[in-house]
Amino acid sequence: MLPAGLQLGRRTVRIGVTGLARSGKTTLLTSIAANLIAHGAGLPALPALTARLGARQMRVALAQNGVAAMPRFDHLAHLAALANDPPRWPSRTGAASLLSLDLEIDRTGLAAALPPRQIRLELLDYPGEWLLDLPLQGQTFADWSAATLERLGRNPAAALARDFLDFVRSLPDDGAVDESLIRHGVARYVALLKALRDEMGLALLQPGRFLMPAPGAVPDWMQFFPLPGASRLAAMMAERFEAYCQAVRDDLVSPAFGRVDRLVVLADILSALHAGPAAFADMAGALGLVAEALRQRRSTVDFPQWLSDWVPDWVPGWIAGLTAALTGISRTAFVATKCDHVAQRQRGNLARLVSSLTGADGRTASFAVAAVRCTEDIAWTLDGRTISAVRGRVLGSERPLRSYPGEVPDHAPDKAFWQYPFLSLPTFEPARVPLNGRGGVSHIGIDNLLVFLLEDLL
Amino acid sequence: MSDSRIRPRIEFEEAPAPRLDFDPLPVGVAPTGSVMPESGTVSTILTGIAVLVLGMALLQTLNFVIAQFDRSFVLGCVTLVVGVVGFGLIGSGVRRELRGLLGLRVVDRLREQLADPMQARQAALEWLATLPEGPLLAEAVRGANDPQTIPALLRAGPLKALRERSEALGRAAALQIFAITAAVPSPALDGVLVGWRGARLVRQVAELHGLRPGLFGTLSLLRRTAMAAGAATATNLAVDTVTRSLLSNSIVGHLAGDVAGAGVAARRMVVLARAAATACSPLDPA
Repeated sequence: MLPAGLQLGRRTVRIGVTGLARSGKTTLLTSIAANLIAHGAGLPALPALTARLGARQMRVALAQNGVAAMPRFDHLAHLAALANDPPRWPSRTGAASLLSLDLEIDRTGLAAALPPRQIRLELLDYPGEWLLDLPLQGQTFADWSAATLERLGRNPAAALARDFLDFVRSLPDDGAVDESLIRHGVARYVALLKALRDEMGLALLQPGRFLMPAPGAVPDWMQFFPLPGASRLAAMMAERFEAYCQAVRDDLVSPAFGRVDRLVVLADILSALHAGPAAFADMAGALGLVAEALRQRRSTVDFPQWLSDWVPDWVPGWIAGLTAALTGISRTAFVATKCDHVAQRQRGNLARLVSSLTGADGRTASFAVAAVRCTEDIAWTLDGRTISAVRGRVLGSERPLRSYPGEVPDHAPDKAFWQYPFLSLPTFEPARVPLNGRGGVSHIGIDNLLVFLLEDLL
Repeated sequence: MSDSRIRPRIEFEEAPAPRLDFDPLPVGVAPTGSVMPESGTVSTILTGIAVLVLGMALLQTLNFVIAQFDRSFVLGCVTLVVGVVGFGLIGSGVRRELRGLLGLRVVDRLREQLADPMQARQAALEWLATLPEGPLLAEAVRGANDPQTIPALLRAGPLKALRERSEALGRAAALQIFAITAAVPSPALDGVLVGWRGARLVRQVAELHGLRPGLFGTLSLLRRTAMAAGAATATNLAVDTVTRSLLSNSIVGHLAGDVAGAGVAARRMVVLARAAATACSPLDPA
């Protein structure tokens, strides 16, 4: 059978867009869709893509969803919110959705005489919370429990987690399996995870499906919480943890959420810098774990087990790598969003900071982007010195705001960095959207991101 | 060691400022559908000739009416009435032509607005107001939450009905053409009949869509129909035949070669009706 991505005359490429909490996933998807469609209409919305294509044309059209089970990503409604006067930022989405675009790209060289290359580009809004389930693979329940409880006992989570930790400590070592006790513990653990996400802005919260359950009834194997020791209760929890990990593995190859060819992982690094060293360490830990899990998945999960068993040991490793490249996530982009909240001079640092947190290899790259630009760069004289800052209108106000939130480090910040607090990011008003969105959306770096993701197809 | 870093800062400016706008439309890029070609040399010359002929005729008529009043009051009145009626009819014809041409522009505008999620609802309601069954669907359009639903509602409702009626007109024309071309022995006369019936069919379809094209409106509509058929890729020849039959000076010679038989000509009428419906409709049928 042909690979799922190869259908008669048209190749399907699925880009999963996911991100840590409040990283701007909906806005990024809206911007990508609007700018690709504007580019297809001949408007200069994506300069780097235009340069990459040269004299060739790329036509873009919204594709029909057909009988797809996944809800359609409503980019027009989000675009309308941005184009309104006064504008609104798109509201947070709570469920996975999919947007399909049909691309027609003229061929180059000797193949120019052939019909244009046809690509179905599927943009999958993948729940960010689920991303943090990837690092669970390969861990035992005991290891995960120990690491989680240790993290909850430290700042900044310790204050909120005290009640749950007391509850866990109160459970007897030889505790019997009592379903009502388990459900009580799970309810407290889920409430704690939600509080840590919503009140503290933490990202490294596992299991991810506890925060964003899959559609349908909650199965019994989701009834567990971190618990140390070797009691019968802990053994039951360990069984459920294994079943949970298996469900995550099944999802990774399911038609709905699997088959992701390229992945974009978003993170609001600037807000984490503002939240302080503990919150930044939490985000850095989450990003690092995800990056490592993706690297491991590339070399194991996507490689078919039966083929792996059949291939003798003397076969060179590059064949395994090639197979993984053909069947798994071929490119991953780690993206720091809202980069227009700092001046142009610092955006390079922001991309390098993401790179230092996630590591880099041939198939991974880091970017600093603003999906919808809302500030302009200015030179601002402070304390007798001229610095680069940004200026924009805050949502709901007609007076512009000048902002110099602080210096962005190009690697994980040290103690000296935290002497001056990195200021919070104002909620700026999005810049005017030309032609009600038909002319694309002003952005920073979306074109470079697309060139990286689609490079082999252009 | 002193820290030379500048403290982070955020400050409001005193004066209000407009919303940031990074992307004024690039020079040379206009919204879809608003590109208006400049008048050609031939059009300018023809317009000049028309102004000269009509203007001079009007002046001559006025002089003549004044001279008639000098001769006799009754003669003057009769000449004045003749002049007013004559030029009134010409003016009425020109007005109808202009309205016909303007109607085609309205289709262009509606097409542009329906493609824009922000204006689709208002454009749909405006178009529905011109159709007999429009009020039935207006409520559904007002209640549609999703801008993409509006074109779908129009396609499923009035657009489908209009296409069915257009095709019925095409089939009726096809029957007539089949009967006529089978009975007429001259291929040259066949061509003239096909051209005449095709132009009439295009006008009928236009009237079905609320347009009332005059001579120039029909010529413009034929050009649009040819383009719509070109987009459909399968119907070039059918429309080309009719278009050339009206626009070419050597109508008979061309058509005699193109219209091979009664069956072919009749089938082309159906295709022509579809293409004309596409040209007159503010939405693509897809």
